[in-house]
Amino acid sequence: MTGVIVEAVTKSFRAGRGVDPLVALDGVDMHIDAGELVSIVGVSGCGKTTLLNIVGGLETATAGQIRIDGDLIVGPGPDRGMVFQGYSLFPWKSVTQNIAFGLECARWPKARRQGRIDELLGVTGLTEFAGHRPDQLSGGMRQRVAIARALAPEPDVLLLDEPFGSLDAQTKRVMQDFLLSVQARTSATILLVTHDVSEAIYLSQRVYVMASRPGRVLEEIAVPFGSVRGPAVLRDARFLDLREEIEELLHAPSPLASSSSEQAIPAQAAPPLPPPVPL
Amino acid sequence: MSIVPQDDPEPVAIERTAPPNRQPTVSSAPSATTTGTRGRRHQALMRLRGDIPRSVHLGLAALGVLVLLGGWALLATSMGSESFLLPTPAEAWAAGVDLYRSGDLMADLSASGRRIAIGYGISIVIGVAFGVLIGSFRSAAAFVEPQVALLRYIPASALTPLFLLWLGIDEAPKIALIVVGTVFYNILMVADVARAVPKELVNASYTLGAGRLTILRRVLLPYSWPGIIDVARVNLAAAWLMLVVAELLAAQQGLAFRVVRAQRFRQVDTMFALLIVFAAIGLVSDLALRALRNRTAPWSEGSR
Repeated sequence: MTGVIVEAVTKSFRAGRGVDPLVALDGVDMHIDAGELVSIVGVSGCGKTTLLNIVGGLETATAGQIRIDGDLIVGPGPDRGMVFQGYSLFPWKSVTQNIAFGLECARWPKARRQGRIDELLGVTGLTEFAGHRPDQLSGGMRQRVAIARALAPEPDVLLLDEPFGSLDAQTKRVMQDFLLSVQARTSATILLVTHDVSEAIYLSQRVYVMASRPGRVLEEIAVPFGSVRGPAVLRDARFLDLREEIEELLHAPSPLASSSSEQAIPAQAAPPLPPPVPL
Repeated sequence: MSIVPQDDPEPVAIERTAPPNRQPTVSSAPSATTTGTRGRRHQALMRLRGDIPRSVHLGLAALGVLVLLGGWALLATSMGSESFLLPTPAEAWAAGVDLYRSGDLMADLSASGRRIAIGYGISIVIGVAFGVLIGSFRSAAAFVEPQVALLRYIPASALTPLFLLWLGIDEAPKIALIVVGTVFYNILMVADVARAVPKELVNASYTLGAGRLTILRRVLLPYSWPGIIDVARVNLAAAWLMLVVAELLAAQQGLAFRVVRAQRFRQVDTMFALLIVFAAIGLVSDLALRALRNRTAPWSEGSR
C-alpha cells in the first residue's frame, strides 16, 4: 500500500532585507491513501501549487516532511508523475516520443516500452495521433498526452497542477471524465490542485480546502459520492450543498489577513465573442 | 498546420461592409435598403500587419531589387568624366565574369570560405558549449559571464597585430581573428537562448526521471536548437567582417585581398563585382540557415 503523508510542511520565502519572511505554507498536514483521488482547492496564492511542487520534489520544505510509502521525499523522481497547467510537452517530439521519454529514462527494454506506449495511447484515445507533434494537437489532446507521459513510468502518485485550467468549459468536462476513467482503469493515486470547487468535488473522494496568508488547511471534506460519477452528481442536492459550503469557506474573510485584497477569482473569464458578421 | 478541428482557424479578415446583394435599390422594400457603410475599408496592401498574397510578396521583392539596380545605373551614367569611380551594373557584371574566367574568383572564394568555415565553426562550437552551460547553470553564469562581458569589449580587430606576432602571417592569425571576433557574441546570445527554455519543461523532465546530463543533452539542447541557428545566422555577418580585416592586412588570396588588389590597379568595376559577391554570399548563407531551421525545427515558432 502506498500513500502520501504530508507532515507539518512549512514553506517560507525571504521577502527581502528587514522584511518578515513570506509564509507560503504553515504546518500543512495531509494524507492521500493509495488509489485515492484527493483535491486541494484554494484561492490564488494559498500555496497549493507550492505544496504540490514540494510533494513532487521540485521545491524543498522549510520545515516538515513528506513520506510516500514510508520513504522521505528529497527530490524529484519518476515515482511521482506531474502534470502542469501549461502541458510542458517536448515540442519537437511526437506524441509517442513524448510518452516514451520517461520510459527511456527508466531504461525500459524496447519491446516492453512499445507495449506500454500502445496501452497508454489506447487509454488516452490518442492512437490515431501517435505521430503528431504537440503543436498539431488541440489543448485537450495536449493535456491527455501530458497525462499519458506522466503515467508511463508507472508512478506511485500522479500530481496534477490545475491541469484543466486553460481549457474551455466543454473540453474541461470531457477531460474530467477522462481523468476519472483513467483512475478507474489504472487505480492511480492522484493529488489534484485546482481553484475550481465543482471540479474538486466532482473528481475527488476527499477535498482539502486551503486558506491563504499563511497557506494552511482549513477543512478536510469527504465527498459522499461513490466511485461512479456522472452528470447526475452535478445535480445532486448534496453536491450543491457541498459546493456552497466550500465556496463559503474559501471566501470567508480570513482572521489573519486583511480582507480587502483577498478576492475570489472567478473560475474562468468568458472568452471574447467573435465579431458579428453581417447577414 | 491545423489538423484537429479544435485548433484556431486561420485568421480571416472580416469585411464589415454590406455585401453586394444589399446595394441600395429604388425598388426594394425600405427595410432591405442600405443607407451607408460602417467601418473604414482598407487597401489590402496597406493594412497594418495584414497578410499579402505570395505573388504580391515576390513581385514587391523583385521590384525593390530593380529599384536599387536602376538607381545605381542612373547614378553611374550621370557621373560624366568621373565615371571610372562608379561603374554601371553592366560593367561590374562584366568585371565579375572576367574574374570568374581567370579562375581567381573561385580560388579567392574557396580561400575565404575555408577561413570562415574553420574560424566560425570553432566559434559556434565554443559558443554553444559555453552558452548552454551559462544558460543552464547559475554557477557557470556567475563564473564565466563577467569574463565574457569584459573580454567582448576588446575590439577584435585591435588584436590583429598581436595575432600576427604570435601566430605568424599564415592562416592561423586569420582564423583566430574570426574566432575572437565572434565567439563572445555567440556565447552570450546562446546563453540567452538556453535561458529561455521554460522551467516547467525542465521540471517535467526531472519528474519523468531524467538526470541533469540527460536533460542537458535531450531537453535543453534540442529546445535551444532553432535559437542557436538564429544566433549563428545573425553573427555570421561579424565573421565576414573579421575575415575582411584579416585579409586586408596580410593575405595572398581571398575576396578581401582581391578587393585591395583591384583598388591598387584602380579596377573599380572589379571592386564592385567583389562587393556583390560578398552580398550574395551573405544572402545565400542566410537563406540556407533559415531553410535548415525550417527543416530541422518545424515545431518552433518562427519556422515556416
